[in-house]
Amino acid sequence: MDVRNELTARLDACQKCNVCTAQCPVAKVNPHFPGPKGLGPDMERFRRGQFIPGETTLDDCSNCKTCEVTCPSGVKITEMILEARRAARKGPHKTMLSLKLRLRGYVLGRAEYLGKLGVLWPGMANQALKLNLVRWALDKGLAVSQKGPLPAYGRPLEVIEDKGGRAGGAFRKQVIYFPGCYTRYNEGDTGRIMIKVLEHIGYKTIVPNFHCCGLPLEANGQFDKARKNGLYNLELMRPYLEAGVPVITSCTSCGLTLKEDYPKLPAPGAQMIGAQTYDLFEFLWQLHEKRELPLDFQEVKACFGYHLPCHLKAQGIGTPALRILRLIPGVKIRNLDAGCCGLSGSYGFKAEKYDKAMKIGNPLFEAVNVGVERGDFQEMLTECGVCKVQIQHGTSIPTKHPLRILAKAYKIILE
Amino acid sequence: MCEIETQVVVIGGGATGVGILRDLSMRGIPALLLEQGDLAHGTSSRFHGLLHSGARYAVKDAKAAQECIEENKIVKHIAAHCIEDTFGWFVYLKGDDPGYLQLWLQGCDQAGIPVKEVPLEEAFRLEPLLSRQTARVFEVPDATVDGFKLLWANVKSAEKYGGSYRTYCKVKSLWLENKDIKGVYAEDLITGEMIQVRSKIVVNAAGPWSAEIAAMSGFDVHMLKNKGSLLVFNQRMFNRVINRLRTPGDGDIFVPHETVTILGTTSQMVDLPDDNQVREQDVSYLLEMGKDLAEGIEQHRVLRAFAGIRPLYESEDASEHEGRGVSRNFALIDHEKRDGVHGLVSIVGGKLTTYRLMAEKVTDWAAARLNVTTACRTAEEPLHHELPADVWNKARQLLGAAAADKMMERLNEEAASVIAVIEKQPELGQFICECEMVTQAEVLHALQDPAVHSLDDLRRKTRLGMGTCQGTYCTYRSTPMLKDAFGSWERTLKEYRILISERWRGITPVLWGDQLRESELARALYLNVLDFKAVESEE
Repeated sequence: MDVRNELTARLDACQKCNVCTAQCPVAKVNPHFPGPKGLGPDMERFRRGQFIPGETTLDDCSNCKTCEVTCPSGVKITEMILEARRAARKGPHKTMLSLKLRLRGYVLGRAEYLGKLGVLWPGMANQALKLNLVRWALDKGLAVSQKGPLPAYGRPLEVIEDKGGRAGGAFRKQVIYFPGCYTRYNEGDTGRIMIKVLEHIGYKTIVPNFHCCGLPLEANGQFDKARKNGLYNLELMRPYLEAGVPVITSCTSCGLTLKEDYPKLPAPGAQMIGAQTYDLFEFLWQLHEKRELPLDFQEVKACFGYHLPCHLKAQGIGTPALRILRLIPGVKIRNLDAGCCGLSGSYGFKAEKYDKAMKIGNPLFEAVNVGVERGDFQEMLTECGVCKVQIQHGTSIPTKHPLRILAKAYKIILE
Repeated sequence: MCEIETQVVVIGGGATGVGILRDLSMRGIPALLLEQGDLAHGTSSRFHGLLHSGARYAVKDAKAAQECIEENKIVKHIAAHCIEDTFGWFVYLKGDDPGYLQLWLQGCDQAGIPVKEVPLEEAFRLEPLLSRQTARVFEVPDATVDGFKLLWANVKSAEKYGGSYRTYCKVKSLWLENKDIKGVYAEDLITGEMIQVRSKIVVNAAGPWSAEIAAMSGFDVHMLKNKGSLLVFNQRMFNRVINRLRTPGDGDIFVPHETVTILGTTSQMVDLPDDNQVREQDVSYLLEMGKDLAEGIEQHRVLRAFAGIRPLYESEDASEHEGRGVSRNFALIDHEKRDGVHGLVSIVGGKLTTYRLMAEKVTDWAAARLNVTTACRTAEEPLHHELPADVWNKARQLLGAAAADKMMERLNEEAASVIAVIEKQPELGQFICECEMVTQAEVLHALQDPAVHSLDDLRRKTRLGMGTCQGTYCTYRSTPMLKDAFGSWERTLKEYRILISERWRGITPVLWGDQLRESELARALYLNVLDFKAVESEE
């Protein structure tokens, strides 16, 4: 058995081939970015044991994980970069971020609190975020780009407590839904539709009062808080996990966090969470394979473009949404396969990164525009909320969660 | 024939030779150093990279121990940029000889080596790979030293004081007239030109080649050539030098050196001063020995193996003749006293840690003969130059912190000009060697150095090719620059072959696991993509 920790072992596996850098969306648009290999395994050898203060390019990584998907040697590249960021915040020579950037990290990391605030009076929050003055102030005060496509708030998704008594008791078919902050506060509708879809196929959905999964916190340097959230959420899920109830995600980043990061937490339930978490369409496809998915679809005559979010790709489950939607008569989908949208969580909201994020997304925007111009499709589908926001921002083409097409086919919603 | 006149000729461009050149130059004595290869191509770069505290010799060799601790303090002071003050641990394992432990503690105390016991729990926390068989851990002021940097710092300093050196200049014979040394005859191996150097004194500081030099005029300097093989691991496994607390033996030191860890050594008598090929059985032996100190050592990736020749001096009255038993002290052989030849001195034995002291003794000897009374200042005057903060900041801003720090250490005073070039042409800040983060600007700068005659010289100067990929990518990436510097494609390809073969020589004994994968990738690249031809190796 290998006694070394995984990062150490994987560091030795790096063959220096640079395939990760060739695939990195950030490296493509930013010649000053050392790339995943440079920032990850290359610098890691320098970082071992000797803290190197002031490595500012660490923050240029957008955490999209394309490098980890690409690496032929299984090197945990993004993880190395995140570890280095973590060390930079903790080290004896703390990286001195300006107050403004620290404050921004605090704010952008807390999608959850922003969501809670935003949904208090969504109309007002949305109007305020549309005001040039407010955006100007956010840009100056927090370095949140004035041009970035901040998502709008809506009626939040309600928490649905488990009223059936003992976990897994009353209902044989139960799922736990981890909606994630975006669905919960920005697109509660999608969450409600999802619950109806699950009901239609015979599942009762429980939505515990989860906190943010922690990924935006990590990406913004709030590592301790991310860990606390993980532990809190795991504790909420534990009785269900023990009862064998599956956890469903509709946000691809939450899904990746639950599958990849939570199993490393020192908590009961950590051993189970990875194997028991499913992306919604992954879950549905498994049912379909067992011939348990109802196929009572009405015809949906429509063509769509599809964008595969990086964090779904990183889950290594392919494109289950395409598989499911193609079961619906009339539906035509073109998988654009045009790479990262550039927004990557909150990366593209940052003032100094906005232009790069737009550049990263450019091939995708072009593919969308070309497809629409040719008449291949009129609308875009993608699972990830911020990918959706970014595609609409870059192309003005309406974009939605593929779940809505399924719900339409099941006659749950009208359009 | 080219004729040169000076006061002192120093033969050998290792640590001792350059130390002597610097000391002579600082005392105002004109001197020329002749080296048959590149600086530091021999023992001075083929060692652990350990700046001894002396603790390793505390039991067996009290004098060596004392010299080491004194020089350890001095070198840390004068060459801070070549040193990483890691400290060293002496690790006493369950079942080790308690008698030796007592002797060792006494020996350290007598030599003046500070020893501090580290609580076990803390030791395991600080060095997670430390063997769980560890019973006690003692900390001593061992450190790591970069042999290349140390040599160049000495040479640069010597040049400032008027000293000069020529590399690839092989001494062919000593010039003697009536038992008086008149100088040396040498050949410039690059141009083929013969050189006559007239001098009052000749210093033989040729390390493992010292016996050959002395034998040119029929003098016998009895050297033992002792091969020590070492393994280079791909990453820093430890943050301190890890020694085994027992009678010094094989494979009982791990040294964290820059980005790698070096495990050594073996001890084997050889006949030739350049017999530095490591055999596969040396590798498995070292790994076997290393297992005692480190957990899971066999899982770590070994980049390469290399060997150096210890030039051990066997004095006439030595009773023990086996490698590790021979004193690590150095000896100054005054051939006037021994052989009746005026002006010839050989400096033999010793260790890199005591290079400065050896140089001081030789220079004292030479100064006395030349009636120079200036005192030695090499123990006080620092070799490196503090660079202004704005140069550091600029470098870090342009290259990122890790790359900038390493480049500044390598280039020291020359860094400012390289940074200025990168500032003007940012594209020259791209890395040619990504593993060791060597920029195009630094490579171009090194290629302008008149002492860089080959790609292998460039490697020693910049660390290009020394990292994980062992030259797979950086070698071909440097093509256009090499072509410009070396003039022709034929020459460039030849340089490739030499470098790749030399890297390959170190890799072949460690071909398994991740390093095997890397080598196959390199072979695919060079044989298939770049259309190199494989040459059968000669045995």
